[in-house]
Amino acid sequence: MIKIFRTLPKLASAALLGALIVGPQAKAQAPAAEPGLTATTIKIGMFGPLSGPSMAYGFDVVNAARMYFDKINREGGIHGRRIEVVVEDDRCTANDVVAAVKKLVEQDQVFMLNGGSCSAPVVAARDYVVRSGVPWVMLNASGDGALYPPQPNIFGALSISQRAVGGSTIEFATRQLSAKRIGYINHDDAYGAWNLEAARFQAAQNGAELIVESINPAIADVTAPVLKLRAANVDAIIIATYARPAQLILKKAQELNVNKPIVIAVNAIANLRQLVENVGSREAFRNVYIQELLAAAPGSEKLAWVYDLYKQSYPELAAKPDHPQVYMPYGIPPAMVIVRALQAAGPQPTRAKVIAAIEQLNFDSGVMAGPISFSPTDRAGQKASIYFRFDGQAMTPVPGVFASRWTYQGQ
Amino acid sequence: MVEAISAKASRLISPRGAMLVALGLIALIAGAIGLTSFATGYVIYIVNLVMVAIVLALGLHIVIGECGQFSLAHAAFYGIGIYTAGLVTNLLGAPFWLSLLAGGLVAGLIGFFIGFLSLRMRDIYLALSTFAFGEAMQWLFLNWTPVTGGPNGLNIKPATLFGFQFLTDRAAFPLVLSVTLVILALVAVLHVSTLGRSLRAVRESEIAAASVGINVTRMKLTAFTLSAFVAGLAGGLYTTFSTFIHPDSLGFQTTIIILTTVVVGGMGSLIGAVGGAMVFGLLSELLRQVPSYQEMIYGGILILFMMYAPRGMFSFVGRR
Repeated sequence: MIKIFRTLPKLASAALLGALIVGPQAKAQAPAAEPGLTATTIKIGMFGPLSGPSMAYGFDVVNAARMYFDKINREGGIHGRRIEVVVEDDRCTANDVVAAVKKLVEQDQVFMLNGGSCSAPVVAARDYVVRSGVPWVMLNASGDGALYPPQPNIFGALSISQRAVGGSTIEFATRQLSAKRIGYINHDDAYGAWNLEAARFQAAQNGAELIVESINPAIADVTAPVLKLRAANVDAIIIATYARPAQLILKKAQELNVNKPIVIAVNAIANLRQLVENVGSREAFRNVYIQELLAAAPGSEKLAWVYDLYKQSYPELAAKPDHPQVYMPYGIPPAMVIVRALQAAGPQPTRAKVIAAIEQLNFDSGVMAGPISFSPTDRAGQKASIYFRFDGQAMTPVPGVFASRWTYQGQ
Repeated sequence: MVEAISAKASRLISPRGAMLVALGLIALIAGAIGLTSFATGYVIYIVNLVMVAIVLALGLHIVIGECGQFSLAHAAFYGIGIYTAGLVTNLLGAPFWLSLLAGGLVAGLIGFFIGFLSLRMRDIYLALSTFAFGEAMQWLFLNWTPVTGGPNGLNIKPATLFGFQFLTDRAAFPLVLSVTLVILALVAVLHVSTLGRSLRAVRESEIAAASVGINVTRMKLTAFTLSAFVAGLAGGLYTTFSTFIHPDSLGFQTTIIILTTVVVGGMGSLIGAVGGAMVFGLLSELLRQVPSYQEMIYGGILILFMMYAPRGMFSFVGRR
């Protein structure tokens, strides 16, 4: 007992010393007016998964945004100011997202935030960001929980929201595949609840019936849900899960001789080549469609500038076999939003001016399937997707863009 | 009567010890004032998180370190504390101390029932049954959507006291520090009390403890109840500076992190539990700055400590 008390004064002295070391640094960084703004620079705080199991969802997305900011800097910056980026690893966990955001806002004193690649964890930072008043443009997180109900300074779903994923896949299945009974496999987590909400809405609007199988993301055996959908005699199956359950479902569907069209939502396509390898048979892809959020096939002529810029910016990474990662181009539209808003805010930008400017944005990024548009009541930027028929090797585009019609009703 | 209390107090702490405590408290208050005056909100957030980790480790210390029983359910008790405190705040607008206490009491009550398991089981069987309880609770957090928010997570209103809302980490810090110190003091008193000695007797040998008249059943129940109560308090404490909780944060991985904290800090040592929580709490945040190598560094540190300090990184201080 006494030994505990002997250590207390030492601990307290260390704490005091630590405070004295950290304190002046924080004070020295405190700006007079808008934080993160100098006569020559604008500081943007970025965060995404740079390590851990969810790294594929954000590592190259962060890289893409950075290379776009670098491009703008090379072209003269914004009203004479260079964009300066500070990057934090959020590991796609709620506690790390909050810590990263607080560090960027309070320690690094950034002007605005650009980050988040995973849907559920970004919600944890919502209240803090709203209270701090810092404009936040998400990376590729669907982030439905932070976008609905709309918050004054949070913008996102630049690749797509989970609601829009659900709505768009149903639109495709009903319009393109003429499906009336649709099997819908989603997760029993936040992700799944969000995409199911809009899927139900769109199905009701299009006169289709939804047969839902909600599964655990860690499921090891998908026989039961696939058998149930086969027994329900559905016209098409939509898989709105992560990659691992999706490959199990594809395998099982082949084993059980399910020959209905299968639509794989974008959530399941972290690495298409890997998906095919893990499924193990091209036969499983005989009637498969995949959802794509980009304006054209990855690597196609329309998007060549993005991939070329990546090769120029990160030659060492580009030489590696798994880079750029699938979601890489998704980092461009959020960076475009920030650049356009800063330009619109004028030579003396404030956070309030930037927020007002984002609210008015409506433009074609040339990167995503649909337009990027915000309004005072809608903070989700992109709601459309295109589809490809995929035989396990080649992708054949299906004509048309399929958009979600779900809107927030204030529930 | 006064003499009796004075005699008891003097056995608990000597005049020299009292002086050290007083000096320590003064230094701690100075440190706290320094921290709230100069450090950024981010630094205070990390300090708040570390203090919650300390309370959580103290909870597990009671059942593992003091009583020698396995428990893999502490993330669940922590979650029960968070959800209970959050719901009491959200639904009743209750002051923080009431929410905090509610979190501790509900977790303690459930811990009492889990304690019954320990009467018939030990070692790996007890570990597996508490693990099953933890998994069941996480399923409940995830699927009892009307109450817990389910997969959408639960937004918690800011903690209040006398109508004042603790909207920032800086505002919540004195509160978190005070509660942590009170819990630390109570666990330290438990450690030197007759009850603490009885718990440790059960840890060393149930048969020997029973032979000297210690009610082993009662001790195990007490350890589980107190342990769950403290873990629940840790959950309540978390809601004083964080306004969102998601079931993903309360799974088996969290249990393993708490267990690592206590074991690597030094099982059976109060300083080990506190020190382990501080080291691992800060380490986790520091390693975020080296993204590519953090798992390797973390794993390497664990292996080194297991090899060269198997009794824990703080085994050189205050083991009883």
